[in-house]
Amino acid sequence: MKLKLAFLLATALVAAPSLLSAQEKGGVINVATIGEPPTLDPMVSTADLVGIVTQHMFETLYTFDKNWTVTPLLAESLPQISADGKTYTIKLRSGVKFHDGSDMASDDVVASLNRWLKLASRGKQVVGFIDKIEATDPTTVTISLKQPYAPLLSLLAFNNSAAIIIPSEKQDEPMKEFIGTGPYMLKERKADQYIQLTRYPGYKARSEASTGYGGARHQYLDEIRFVPVPDPNTRVEAAVSGQYDYIDSLPVESFDKVKASTASQPVLLKPFGYPVFVFNTAQGVTANVAVRKAIRQALSMEDMMAAAFGSKDFYALDGNIYPSNFIWSTDAGVDGAYNVADPEAAATAAKEAGYKGEPIRILTSRQYEFHYKMAQVAAEYLKLAGFKVDMQVVDWATLTQRRTDKGLWDIYISHSPFLPEPALIGSLSTSSPGWWDTPARKAAVDAFTSEVDPQKRIALWANVQKAMYDDVPFMKIGDFNAVAAKSTKLDGVDPAPWPYFWNASIKK
Amino acid sequence: MIRYILQRLAGMIVVMFLVVTIVFVIVRVTPGDPAAVMLGPDATPQDVADLRTKLGLDQPILLQYVFYFGQLLRGDLGQSIFLNMSVGSALLERAEPTFFLTLFSLAIASVIALPVGIYAAYRRGSFVDQAATTIAMLAASIPSFWLGLILMQFFAVRFNLFPVSGYGGPGSTLLDRLYHLALPAIALGLVSSALIMRFTRASMLDVLGDDYVRTARAKGLAERHVVLRHALKNALIPILTVLGLTAAVLISGAVVTETVFGLPGVGNLVVSAVLRRDYPVIQGALLVIAGIYVLINFAIDMLYLLVDPRVRY
Repeated sequence: MKLKLAFLLATALVAAPSLLSAQEKGGVINVATIGEPPTLDPMVSTADLVGIVTQHMFETLYTFDKNWTVTPLLAESLPQISADGKTYTIKLRSGVKFHDGSDMASDDVVASLNRWLKLASRGKQVVGFIDKIEATDPTTVTISLKQPYAPLLSLLAFNNSAAIIIPSEKQDEPMKEFIGTGPYMLKERKADQYIQLTRYPGYKARSEASTGYGGARHQYLDEIRFVPVPDPNTRVEAAVSGQYDYIDSLPVESFDKVKASTASQPVLLKPFGYPVFVFNTAQGVTANVAVRKAIRQALSMEDMMAAAFGSKDFYALDGNIYPSNFIWSTDAGVDGAYNVADPEAAATAAKEAGYKGEPIRILTSRQYEFHYKMAQVAAEYLKLAGFKVDMQVVDWATLTQRRTDKGLWDIYISHSPFLPEPALIGSLSTSSPGWWDTPARKAAVDAFTSEVDPQKRIALWANVQKAMYDDVPFMKIGDFNAVAAKSTKLDGVDPAPWPYFWNASIKK
Repeated sequence: MIRYILQRLAGMIVVMFLVVTIVFVIVRVTPGDPAAVMLGPDATPQDVADLRTKLGLDQPILLQYVFYFGQLLRGDLGQSIFLNMSVGSALLERAEPTFFLTLFSLAIASVIALPVGIYAAYRRGSFVDQAATTIAMLAASIPSFWLGLILMQFFAVRFNLFPVSGYGGPGSTLLDRLYHLALPAIALGLVSSALIMRFTRASMLDVLGDDYVRTARAKGLAERHVVLRHALKNALIPILTVLGLTAAVLISGAVVTETVFGLPGVGNLVVSAVLRRDYPVIQGALLVIAGIYVLINFAIDMLYLLVDPRVRY
């Protein structure tokens, strides 16, 4: 018996270092998502869920590293940019294969980028700046611009409304075959039941170390299955029971419950994003900037965030559009304009602005419960300041339609993750609902988007934020954290706004 | 009788025409836009307008209606905007979980409700009767999804006996998939049993005092024979009606329960179609559900003929 024990101990000691040294290859994980993605073509949708699933199947020329810096993915390196900032020469990696076995070449990239310019919201944002896109040789693509446009690289790197590269002969709209270059390929989709992705054996990973979405993508897992679990309480129970390996988007109240479970542990992404109140600057009572300022003066961001997220573990008060861990963080324009919570002064300001008791129509949805909670707190503060409030609670699909009609609302409530490139913020566009279009916006945004020097861009972003605080096209309410959960057996998953699993593995 | 059946069939066609028209109009006048849902939160109004044109949603409603009606006459329910498949295929794919969920729920409900209802009526005023009536009242007041969450808490989370949600992964066997239905079927079955039990009890009470039951007893027939052969047969008509309607409710989708348990059934399909404004799926699913209701009612009427020889049309 003693001999047997000694043998077992010796075996364990010999085996342990090798077990600890590398991540295990193999296994299947089930990822519980908030629902069924509306499409698997990431070019045509800006929905986060589409990006989360499809980033495993399709790849872009560039992506973001852990510091949100643009890094090459299908491109061999960062592009050579001409001195005038108008020509981007992109060298492609060689040996990259699509899931149908064909080689990726420059004509696939040209066709895909043209499709992106035609179909994708973010592509359409760029199309006016593009002069031409050409395949210089089989591994080189040149993009010529009419004028410098600095956000181009970030737009090419983003994973929703994404500039994915697909075979030139498979550019159908709507997409018929889901052929990408990603580490996982689509095996089966059963709507509302699962999306099954399997490891692509022909994948060629980058040689650099993994960093954020960049670097090597290891493909440890055999399969990734995305399973829609639309009910948030069910997702919490699923996390506690250990039925899924990763559970996305949990209510913050469930944090302690998940932490107490033995099967899963919470994943906290701090900070994830920010809720916003977007003003209708084009029509109605909030077209008057003085009224918008009076509304902002009345509101307590602190009470709204507390009502929406409960504990300070899950939110922070921060008027800077970007939090301190982003290079874009600046306090320009914030002082005296954020979390003022002075309804009396706001009442005086509203009177001086010519406010005559018109109802402030707040468009919100209970699909995101925290939107609704913030709207309720805001309504009370606005009433204290003498504003008349007309709260319009609708479902999210209705809200997205109504907000496009200038005559139907004054404020709508939304939220956004912190986007790696500020130019991607929707409200900066004059066509985005809210229709912010002033000379100050144009001067600040144009200077920011046409500057190529990264250091100068940081300073220019401060001017844009100041213009936002001066013109009040929207109000940032604060920073909030996102809670997800992962199985205690799952390794290699870092908190991310669009979680990815190509470096994940299962502990044996 | 043939005339009666023909009349009923004509009535069914009128009902279905009204359903098609009303659903079409309601879906179109409800705010919300599938194009905006498809394109996501950062799409520009121009992108949304372009996609609406592509989907034919910019056409006048009357023109869209005529086109849709023509499609239906050709037996085509249309193409889902989001699912990359026809509405008919989407409904067929969802039929399996809904069918088995209905079957199991109804079986559980019947196994509990029929014997308890019969016994409670037979022993009217007894402790069993009072207990059964009280429990039935409580069960009827409990929403099935709430009961489902409680069952989930105990049997899936605490004891890990059943899965919390879903309907089996790729390559799962039918048995695997049916295993996923256990908790929702119990939840729906228990709640449905309350209504069926109360109807059974009331219906049995009506007939147990009738002359023919007294006569049967006077003839010296065994009590079991009197209750099950004579009384129950005559009490069956209202019980069949409520069983049929319960089946129709379950087939049309135990909407909330399916959503809570993440079951890809008809109810879940309708909910997600409504949330993303997948017009063809909403229209097609409601049309099929209405058709099922109409057919079940028709079948119940036909069953009356078999169960009660006095029924003549």
